[in-house]
Amino acid sequence: MVDKVQAELKSAFSDLTIHEESYPECGYHLSLDLAAGDLEKAARFFDDRRFYLAVELCVDYREYLEIVYIFSIHSSLCKVKVTLKIDPVNPVAPTLSKVFDCAWWYEREIHEFYGVRFDGHSDMTYLFLHDGIDVYPLRKEKVLVAEADRLELNSFSPEQREDSLSINMGPQHPSTHGVLRVVLRMDGEYIEDAYPVLGYLHRMQEKMAENRTYQQFLPNTGRMDYLGAMSYNLGYVTAVERLVGIDVPARAHYVRMIATELNRIASHLLWVGAYLADLGGLSPFLYAFDDRENLLDVLEAVTGSRLTYCYFRFGGLYNDVDDAFVAGTKAFVARMRGRFALYEKLVGGNVIFINRTRGIGVIERELARKCAVCGPVLRGAGIGMDFRKAEPYAAYAEMNFEIPTGRNGDALDMYHIRIREMETSLDIIDQSLARLSDGPFMVEKPPKKLKPRKGDLYHTVETPRGELGIYIVSDESDKPYRMKWRVPSFSNLMAFPELAKGNLLSDAVAILGSLDLVIPEIDR
Amino acid sequence: MDKVLDLARANSLWPVTFGLACCAIEMMSAAMSRFDIDRFGAGVFRPSPRQADLMIVSGTVTKKMAPVLLTLYDQMPSPKWVIAMGNCAISGGPFVFEGQYNLIEGVDKLIPVDVYVPGCPPRPEGLLEGFLKLEEKITGTRRFPGPVERW
Repeated sequence: MVDKVQAELKSAFSDLTIHEESYPECGYHLSLDLAAGDLEKAARFFDDRRFYLAVELCVDYREYLEIVYIFSIHSSLCKVKVTLKIDPVNPVAPTLSKVFDCAWWYEREIHEFYGVRFDGHSDMTYLFLHDGIDVYPLRKEKVLVAEADRLELNSFSPEQREDSLSINMGPQHPSTHGVLRVVLRMDGEYIEDAYPVLGYLHRMQEKMAENRTYQQFLPNTGRMDYLGAMSYNLGYVTAVERLVGIDVPARAHYVRMIATELNRIASHLLWVGAYLADLGGLSPFLYAFDDRENLLDVLEAVTGSRLTYCYFRFGGLYNDVDDAFVAGTKAFVARMRGRFALYEKLVGGNVIFINRTRGIGVIERELARKCAVCGPVLRGAGIGMDFRKAEPYAAYAEMNFEIPTGRNGDALDMYHIRIREMETSLDIIDQSLARLSDGPFMVEKPPKKLKPRKGDLYHTVETPRGELGIYIVSDESDKPYRMKWRVPSFSNLMAFPELAKGNLLSDAVAILGSLDLVIPEIDR
Repeated sequence: MDKVLDLARANSLWPVTFGLACCAIEMMSAAMSRFDIDRFGAGVFRPSPRQADLMIVSGTVTKKMAPVLLTLYDQMPSPKWVIAMGNCAISGGPFVFEGQYNLIEGVDKLIPVDVYVPGCPPRPEGLLEGFLKLEEKITGTRRFPGPVERW
């Protein structure tokens, strides 16, 4: 696949040099540096070959700003990094929002954090930041907000039209699970348009990453996605280990996988409970939390916390697991396997639930690709993509598990996929427990100070919500020069306006819930 | 008469459903069967601030969220109380650094806070202790003997 793309790129862009990169080191296979004029042609090139735009981000190198596009494909492993250098004084770049829907969102983000204007973009109002901000936060030097941008600070006001009504949902709304705000334009009971407004929980994680050393930033990762904290921990430590070149002992790999999969089950359990509560059924909430509390006791015994874990370290684990943990995990796995029948009886076979969720929020493959949707939502659309299989990290390559996919892509499918994913997580835990052998849980000499090589890395892991991409630029110091988090909830949210269109207002909650959004992850 | 009213208020605190961040999950855990906040009459989470008399600020308050929080607080009928749950609501917690641009460092800069519950996030038991402290503040007497101070 990589060779084919490389050959085709060569014939399409004859005057450009296409660099072959070392995938284990950088996380992408090819890279090319484009001029602004070629960008849309390149995007169409990738669009024609069914690539999706995994992330679009910006790095401030002081002499120039670099916009980085990572293109990836569902059907095989091939990643291409495309870069575009622009002038920092008057930063203007062409937009890709006409080709890829997700670029529309990423470009708004880049605009408010770096001050880059995108030619041809339909809406440059601020998405994340509050209206009192006077600088571009992620620029390395202090750059004041330009006069033209000042007008777009919080200039969002829903368009009032005579034949429609705007309804504000959130930021304090019981069913948005946090502080998401969606403005819905209604035609009677039907949604004409949905407009998410974000940033009510923007906690400056990416700015903090540039201010802290690699070790100091570790606890933050668990607070970005508090439900899948282990997956974030794992993503971050594996990314930095890959950047620095640390080999982790086998025991640590297995314990990491057990802890991560337990956390994935906890996350899905909470989703089942909260989603059903959104739809009006409170009792599954109590059952799901009962299971979850059982699980948290097991994890708490080794990690010391219930929610925002920080259990992994660069080179291994914080502490070793004991026999009580193994016994507790085995007991939980046995208990959980017996509970699925109960959930099937309580929820899956419940005719109210089925009629409430069947056929709504149907996600098409094309929309899934254009919005770079990921995780269970993508698998609901029938694309069996899971980064534990596609790009194995830790010791997932040794594990034997299947990837559940849906047929219809509706909210009901999302429920079944998440339930089946819990079963596959149990399978992985079983296999990891069987392979867990004695040995060190930490490398012999854990690095006191991390000094990674100069360069960048795009590392992906599978969190309970989908593709988490971490893009780190290192300048050989002990702090990251730039760290971008490509978060799954954000790209799943991008599909929401399209999914909500034409549906009933009461179904908007059911669709929003089926995406399993975690707001601090979107806002970072 | 006031004493009777205070007793009634203390035993039926109705919190507004207002989850901000990670702490909201622990707040939900506290409401579930294992920790069961209903034992203290505080399990009636109200989606509307107009029906509530207690606000649990469970999470980070950003500058964008601050006006919303103030509106919600103003909409609550008096008498009303506030619990600042977690380090973020108390002081900004782990997200304070030099040059931060988006955080309210402590919700007490916006609204008066009655009880602070530290932790990141606090355990559900911690939140329950916060409720007992608030009851003590309202009635002047404590429902249970307090925890033994060991240090």
